[in-house]
Amino acid sequence: MQYTQIVQAVWGGLLFGAVYGLMALGLTLVWGAVRLLNLAHGAIFVVAAYVAYATVANLHQPILVALPVGVAAAAAFAYLMHLFLVRPVLGKPGFDNATLMATIGISISVQAAALLIFNPEYKVIPPVLQGSNLLAGVQVTNQGLLVIGTSLALFALVYLFLTYTRQGMAIRAVSQQMEAASLMAIPVVRTYAVVIAISGALAGVAGILLSPFFFLNPSSGFNPMIQALIVTIFGGLGSIRGALVAGYVLGVFESFVEVYFGVAWALPGVFLLIILMLIVRPNGLFGTGDVRRL
Amino acid sequence: MSAETAASTLARPAIDQAAAPWRRVSIYTVGGAVLLGLLMPWLLVRLDIGDYLVTLLILFFIQAVVAQSWNLIMGYGGIYSFAQVALYAVGGWATGVLANTLGWNPFIAILFAPVLAGLAALLIGLPTLRLRGVYVVLLTLAFHELSRVFAINGPRFISGGGYGLTIVPTFQFGSVIGEQRTIYLYYLAMAIFAIATLVIWRVIHSPLGVAVTALRDSETYAVSRGINQFRIRLVLFVLSAFFTGLAGGYMTHYQGGISTSVFDFPRLIDLLAMIVIGGWGSFGGPIMGAGIVIGLDQYLVALGDFRTLAEGLILAGIAVFAPQGVWPLLRNAFERFLAPESSPARSDQPSPAGAAEPPDDRAQEDER
Repeated sequence: MQYTQIVQAVWGGLLFGAVYGLMALGLTLVWGAVRLLNLAHGAIFVVAAYVAYATVANLHQPILVALPVGVAAAAAFAYLMHLFLVRPVLGKPGFDNATLMATIGISISVQAAALLIFNPEYKVIPPVLQGSNLLAGVQVTNQGLLVIGTSLALFALVYLFLTYTRQGMAIRAVSQQMEAASLMAIPVVRTYAVVIAISGALAGVAGILLSPFFFLNPSSGFNPMIQALIVTIFGGLGSIRGALVAGYVLGVFESFVEVYFGVAWALPGVFLLIILMLIVRPNGLFGTGDVRRL
Repeated sequence: MSAETAASTLARPAIDQAAAPWRRVSIYTVGGAVLLGLLMPWLLVRLDIGDYLVTLLILFFIQAVVAQSWNLIMGYGGIYSFAQVALYAVGGWATGVLANTLGWNPFIAILFAPVLAGLAALLIGLPTLRLRGVYVVLLTLAFHELSRVFAINGPRFISGGGYGLTIVPTFQFGSVIGEQRTIYLYYLAMAIFAIATLVIWRVIHSPLGVAVTALRDSETYAVSRGINQFRIRLVLFVLSAFFTGLAGGYMTHYQGGISTSVFDFPRLIDLLAMIVIGGWGSFGGPIMGAGIVIGLDQYLVALGDFRTLAEGLILAGIAVFAPQGVWPLLRNAFERFLAPESSPARSDQPSPAGAAEPPDDRAQEDER
């Protein structure tokens, strides 16, 4: 019994951790490059999930078609946000204020729109993989394994992209020194657009793959976003390695709190952990000391 | 006003107008506003829907206090605190529990609401305010979430089984009932609003306010001039919580209860909309924003979720395309068309103040 509980907690934690890591990866990329705290990240999550749901339920397509459609929609949505909300205020003195307010505004608008178009009922997105295995009395679903695998693969992909491709190097250059990068003829604004679209796509993948577990309703993006924010800060703002490690650490921690204290205390417990973390290591696990803006 | 200034310049050295901007508010404007506020309910109750309008004004006063004190730390202080609703709830619950469980008179109990909210702010402020932007957002959201969970799952005299406090004694003025009681309630709300507005006005134009604006506009410069960032932010945060708690306490006794639904996200957005629409970091902005949001709400409430959709889009649109909100527009219109010609302070003000300020328009806006 006790043993099963522990396995259950670890399995749930790895699952959460994979998704939080995926969300946090998007947040941290955007933060690192654009210095934009995207509070609409949860909204992108919801957009992707609902587009995938509509593709499956209304257009009767298999989930394998819906997945890329949803991810593309998320990337497009993120790009539109860049076009209308980020680009007009780039480099202006009120950038932090404006983007913070704008992303909050967008996130509640998306929530309201989802409520209007679909109803508040919980929606079910079919999992990509069916079936499950029994491991020490715990149901380990294939979809869960897929989520963890996808998350790790995407982390690797993003890492390789940033390290070895021209576009990736441009992104890193822009995050390190925006002005110097622009002097080296790197199109800064276009690089921003690419980063934001990638981040949206990552949130989209998270949204579509996670929804079979939690069901989908208009506000289901909020919790993953807050968790991703915590993961980002825990791992160190702007650090990809941090997002990966912190995602799993916090996921497993939350899962244990849920199993032993109840679901209501999961978020407070995580918050308590992050407060302790900020006292011990104010820059997060892998943070560099220079995150002093905003 | 010009005669007055002339007389005072003879008696003692001229006061730099930018250093004491509060002198520029004419006594007639303030007196007129107060008089209008005092007479308003007596005029309104003659109307058919007067009771409803007075209630609306009460709501406006309280919301304006909360929005103003939030603006004090967000707009002026640049502290992205999302603990505002939680502090409001602390005030509400404090007075509610005192009146409910210990049976105190609401008028006595409400005095503890701002004090406890201030103490709560001190507790959150100590670990939080040394940190910067994103961290403050996160930790204050954490406080919001923790208080929500506590209010729902806490001991029974606090949570009321998950619904909040449902039967709190309301304000009673002797045996007065009906219309007359509404008017007294109105005066009480107005008094809270007036005190909060006055104090916030004075704080903004005191060395404390100037220091906090300096910290927001150029932190490095302000700190190198010897401003203690942490202490100033903490004082401002506690002050803001004080009035927020008072507003929360009033609302609890006014409505006869406080529900856990105050923690809902849309409420936070409503307050934020007031600040952003009215004018972020300007004195009159949140007051005007509260008026606009509450006024429009009466029409938009029928739209249901379309209202939230529109609110979010307006919020985003204003934040990006008109970051100063509606207040500066009104202000400029007033100065262009209505301001008395004989006010010399206005014309010579931009040159000395503008030269020393960073190239941020908003900084100059605050000076006026």
